[in-house]
Amino acid sequence: MSDSTQVAATPAAPAEVPVAVRRAAAKPVSFGQVVGRSPFVPYLFLLPGLALFVVFFAWPAVEAVEASFTDYSIVNPLHVVGFANYTELFHDEVFLAALGHSLIVMVGLLPFSVAIPLWLAILVNRKLRGIQVFRAVYFLPVITSMITVAVAWNYVFADKGVLNWLVATLGLSDAPIHFLLDPHWALASVILVEGWKGIGTYMMIYLAGLQAIPGDLYEAAEIDGAGAWQRFTRVTLPLMRPFMAVALAIEMVNALQVFTSVYVLTQGGPNDHTTTAGYFVWSQAFQHYRFGYASAAGVVVWAILIALALVNHRLTNGKQANTP
Amino acid sequence: MSERQVLRRRRGARWTVRRIGVYLLLAAIAVVFVWPFLFLLATAFKAPTQDVYSFPPSLIPRPPVLTWLHNAWTQIPFPRYLLNSLLYVLGGVPLFVLISAMTAYPLATASFRGSKVMFFAILSTMFVPAELMLIPRFLVANQLGLTNTYAGVILPGVLSAFGVFLLRQAFAAVPAELGEAARLDGCGEWRVFWTVMLPVVRPTLAISAIFGFIFIWNDFLWPLVVLNDDTKYPIALGIAYLTGISGTDTRTLSAGTLLSLVPIVVFFLLLQRQILEGAKGAVKG
Repeated sequence: MSDSTQVAATPAAPAEVPVAVRRAAAKPVSFGQVVGRSPFVPYLFLLPGLALFVVFFAWPAVEAVEASFTDYSIVNPLHVVGFANYTELFHDEVFLAALGHSLIVMVGLLPFSVAIPLWLAILVNRKLRGIQVFRAVYFLPVITSMITVAVAWNYVFADKGVLNWLVATLGLSDAPIHFLLDPHWALASVILVEGWKGIGTYMMIYLAGLQAIPGDLYEAAEIDGAGAWQRFTRVTLPLMRPFMAVALAIEMVNALQVFTSVYVLTQGGPNDHTTTAGYFVWSQAFQHYRFGYASAAGVVVWAILIALALVNHRLTNGKQANTP
Repeated sequence: MSERQVLRRRRGARWTVRRIGVYLLLAAIAVVFVWPFLFLLATAFKAPTQDVYSFPPSLIPRPPVLTWLHNAWTQIPFPRYLLNSLLYVLGGVPLFVLISAMTAYPLATASFRGSKVMFFAILSTMFVPAELMLIPRFLVANQLGLTNTYAGVILPGVLSAFGVFLLRQAFAAVPAELGEAARLDGCGEWRVFWTVMLPVVRPTLAISAIFGFIFIWNDFLWPLVVLNDDTKYPIALGIAYLTGISGTDTRTLSAGTLLSLVPIVVFFLLLQRQILEGAKGAVKG
């Protein structure tokens, strides 16, 4: 890196670092220690990020928690109500149902974050001409906005849409199914769209894992007489476990926060059958204008997410010890 | 012809058949991922005489018409919204990359008091439900005079756990000797960062820029809350708006949605290799 003189804006003073000091340090030497003279240097780097964190995350988060103990809304003058919002929440059938729906979404998205993308990753993890194109196509829904996806999926869900055409052709039902309006189908439809949109992300996670597996492991297994299925269960699956852990962590966070798809597809309907926890928070705030109540609901969701993250951290930390 | 040659040829034939099978499978799956978009494409060009929905579904507009594209372009201030989105991307992406890198660098390479706290603080931003933050964030933005401004749209999206983690992995993989050599040469820490470390992690910078682009381009919830002047709408919000005003006019809506897809899809196709590598790199540890 001999071109280090090119940049003008450097607040650098010549550093005199005794090599012996550097050698003496047992831990890997890092810049806070080496430079020594300015232990606050790391903080200078962190300053802009920290400022943004305080202004757009910490401060609003504190305000949200505060608001959750009030009856803050656009019609009321503000009153502190203690835990009243929380008590009401746990008697609010819509909220409890919303938590249930979020749980269903979380379970319903599992195949879309584990089995299907893992299978796809194995499928596209081969040296074929043009395989890059297929990977890109499978990833396409990930880069498009949920609004676009909702407009596009309308052709799939409509009364005379693709799914109903399949239903009619296969003779499964005489009348068209109103996928987004039928209480039996609406949540499943939301899960289908969310799952479909996310598959590409998880496929990439598994692909990263697959490409890190040394090829000789498979060769050795083959020499030992392992068939394709055995090679999958004995070599691929164990080595993919840490990547599944990552995928599951992402899936849980995403599932509990599902909001935009509900907002653009069903608006929580029919009859709150697709009201997820995320949508509940939104509708209390922006349709019922009960900001205090909405904040309490949001705080509960937040607590659940943190609890899940901690559980996940515990579980995966145990496993990461025997990761290559 | 020797026996071995025959064998090789036979194996070649079997291999070719298998390969065709794999391609057919790959193509069938590809259809699952693109079909909603294909209908979007078809409907945007269908003449009023042709049904949008039919059994079996029809994908070929006969004859193709440009009416709906024109409608979408004029019913909402389409060029204006595209320009706005471009502004948000041009303003947001460099900040996104720089802040991610500056935050990630010490977290990856230094051990200092509070590094753990900062790390978990950034991590925690992933767990806060976005809907919970909308109102208090709006109130904060309001107090800072950021509501209904371009800066107000851009700034909250600049700090992202994803960007920080991506670059933290990249910095952690750079051999420590590299920075030390520069330090012994008398470089200050900023100079080490700017002239030594950043060039080394340039591929990852590119990846985080790409993801920053995608995040910013597709976000519509925060702009919806923070903007009350619809001349500042990004195109994603414009499409939501078009959904509202065009109601049952599926053709215009499809045309508008299609138009809004063009920039991000072109961008994706141009950079798909880096995007896909990046999606993988984010989880490699």
